[in-house]
Amino acid sequence: CFLQHGNAGEGQSTPATCSPLCRCEDGGADCSGRGLTAVPTGLSAFTYYLDISMNNITELPANVFRNLPYLEELRLAGNDLSFIHPDALSGLHQLKVLMLQNNQLRTVPSAALRNLHSLQSLRLDANHITVVPEDSFEGLQQLRHLWLDDNSLTEVPIGPLRHQGNLQALTLALNRIVHIPDHAFANLTSLVVLHLHNNRIQEIGKNCFTGLENLETLDLNFNNLMTFPEAIQTLPKLKELGFHSNNIAVIPEGAFHKNPLLRAIHLYDNPLSFVGVTAFQNLSDLSSLMLRGASMMQEFPILTGTVKLESLTLTGTKISSIPNDLCDVLSLLRTLDLSYNHIQALPSLQGCVKLQEISLQHNQLQQIDRDTFHGLSALRILDLSQNQIKSIHRDGFLFLSGLTNLDLSQNALSGVPTAGLTALNQLKLSGNLQMKQPLSAQSLPKLRSISVPYAYQCCAFIGCDTLLSSTQEAARKRASGGEEDVERVSLVMHCSPSPGAFKPCDHLLGSWMIRL
Amino acid sequence: HRPHKQSMSSGCQSGCLTCSEYNGCLSCKPRLFIFLERNGMKQTGVCLPSCPSGYYGTRSPDRNDCTKCRPECDSCFTSNFCTRCRPGFYLHQGKCLQTCPEGRVPSTAQRECVL
Repeated sequence: CFLQHGNAGEGQSTPATCSPLCRCEDGGADCSGRGLTAVPTGLSAFTYYLDISMNNITELPANVFRNLPYLEELRLAGNDLSFIHPDALSGLHQLKVLMLQNNQLRTVPSAALRNLHSLQSLRLDANHITVVPEDSFEGLQQLRHLWLDDNSLTEVPIGPLRHQGNLQALTLALNRIVHIPDHAFANLTSLVVLHLHNNRIQEIGKNCFTGLENLETLDLNFNNLMTFPEAIQTLPKLKELGFHSNNIAVIPEGAFHKNPLLRAIHLYDNPLSFVGVTAFQNLSDLSSLMLRGASMMQEFPILTGTVKLESLTLTGTKISSIPNDLCDVLSLLRTLDLSYNHIQALPSLQGCVKLQEISLQHNQLQQIDRDTFHGLSALRILDLSQNQIKSIHRDGFLFLSGLTNLDLSQNALSGVPTAGLTALNQLKLSGNLQMKQPLSAQSLPKLRSISVPYAYQCCAFIGCDTLLSSTQEAARKRASGGEEDVERVSLVMHCSPSPGAFKPCDHLLGSWMIRL
Repeated sequence: HRPHKQSMSSGCQSGCLTCSEYNGCLSCKPRLFIFLERNGMKQTGVCLPSCPSGYYGTRSPDRNDCTKCRPECDSCFTSNFCTRCRPGFYLHQGKCLQTCPEGRVPSTAQRECVL
């Protein structure tokens, strides 16, 4: 609702006024997107919020806000501002938020900012700033949040930031910074968030982050870093670190041993070839670890102390074995992706009782023992495809009562145990060329989709003229009481490769070997 | 179902690069943030120089997005750094807390933990 005109003398404030070019409400004036070329006049002296964004104002003259001493938030984003008079913002002693983003500024208007002693948030992002004068933020003792991203800076404005002890969040992202010298942020002891993503940073000093004792989030994504940023060792409170999409080949031993509070590390899209086995040790708050394509890595990383890991992805390495105590350490694990390695055998994963997904495709597994998946009742998806598995213990899946998807395709199996797979919905067996005998869907009540090595094996699932001999048919009927059988076969929606004219269900000349 | 007619910036709202009659802005001019306004089931894209209250902006070379702050934040710098809290919460080093740490007291007016 619009601000009502009150009668003086009834304890109401002096009659409020508003510019016809704006919409005023509760001390706020919205004059945005009206094609204005100058700051509107005639606003109430008690205006505390003024939005003139998305207009066509190219410059701010001196004292243009002198009648608005109570202004706390001023939005000038999305104009064409290229010049701000040194006295343009004078008188705004209570201004806390100043938005100058999306304009045409080439330098920080340091003179105009000097007396904004209450300013907490300053947005200068999406301008064309190439120069940050030494005295740019001198008067701003209360500054907490500074946006300088999406400009044309070629270096960190070290001098101008030197006295910003209250600054808590800073973004210098999307600039052209190439190098971060030592002690670049030395006095920013209150800084909690630092974004440097999308620059051209190739190299950083070993002490470039010295002084950032409260930093929790550091974003170095999308740069050209050639070596691991060892400078992070001076960041004891770091919780989130990103350096994905860089050119880092090696993660050294003990890489994060000085950052015990790390919760998230984003390091994908780096040409990793080697990862130190002790790199990820004792990160007791880390919940997810994703390492892809460290092709030279031969040993499984030591993860002792990294006890809260819920998701572990470690693919594309030369790792050939998994530590026996993996699940003693990672009892909270929910997803485990160890595909595309050289793993030859599995320990018991019994302790990982929360596991829901296991991906082990593309390894060199030979067999599955009785207790490999013992106790994993929460497991839903198990991918063991593209291995060399010859045998699976008959109780190998006994405890997988929650398993819905099982992929055993492209192995060397001649048979598959089904005990325990009461919830199985999808089963893939194609590519097990030794598996020639007919398959029975008897103990797979929920099966909906199956792929088999040979088309004739589908006959048991999709109700074509039965392949089963009369004795097997009678046995099945007795076991299921007769009616359930007809209903269950029709429920199996999909079986491939499906039999047809050239892939008949019946064998020719009495031998199931002879089929087209 | 209305035909999905897409047009270039001339026929669109200010700030749009492409838009459709039904969904508003589909992409924005450089350096503007795209924000999806909800109106019941319908979503309408708008292009803004800054994200609305309760959202923060993430800039990248090819797109600028608005993402929701945490529930207890009125405004934020990133997903885990608030700049202003909702009533009943108090700001301390980018966190909106229901009680202030030792040595600080809650200021209801500023919604901050102060000395």
